[in-house]
Amino acid sequence: MTEVRAEMVANVWQVVASEGDQVADGDTLVVLESMKMEIPVLAEGAGTLTKLAVAEGDVVQEGDLIAIIE
Amino acid sequence: MPSSSEATRGPGLSVGLRASVQATVTEADTAEAMGSGDVPVLATPRLLALAEAASSAAVAPQLADGFTTVGTSASVEHRRASPLGAEVVVEAELTEVDGRRLVFGFIARAQNTGEDVVVGAGTVERVMLDRERFIARAQAGG
Repeated sequence: MTEVRAEMVANVWQVVASEGDQVADGDTLVVLESMKMEIPVLAEGAGTLTKLAVAEGDVVQEGDLIAIIE
Repeated sequence: MPSSSEATRGPGLSVGLRASVQATVTEADTAEAMGSGDVPVLATPRLLALAEAASSAAVAPQLADGFTTVGTSASVEHRRASPLGAEVVVEAELTEVDGRRLVFGFIARAQNTGEDVVVGAGTVERVMLDRERFIARAQAGG
């Protein structure tokens, strides 16, 4: 199981993946926005996206859970 | 979706790039006119605008096609007043490249009464991004 967490305070700009998706290492899961930049959050391993913990418009803090891949 | 982070760096974006901008203090540039104060001398936000312009110009020729920079942070020391008619020159230099984040130092000089004096200094941070995507995202409420 891989937990994907936010590396910085950011707004969730786009949610690209959905729960249940099969994802490959490096696939974009969500796109955050911080300091005017788009920051893609990538899958850190292949598997099934069993949890997507954020929605568009959410604000995430550093360390917040974004997704779980199993 | 591809990450745009690696595509933004032009071939020659390195520390030491410089540019300068020049302006004559007119009525429109004063604190009184800009609403930042009530005196008829160069407004601090106008000084910052010149610093941002010089910073942008320092790297613009080196950016990949379709990319631009936008301001994210700044610190300004406004050390001395510049009256109407003063010639202000602001020079910016790229001092740090951290991925898409660029840090500039700037210094502002003015010729008031024939003497060349430092009137301001500070830092500007800007980030590189895709111009059209940024505008679309901003208009979408991002």
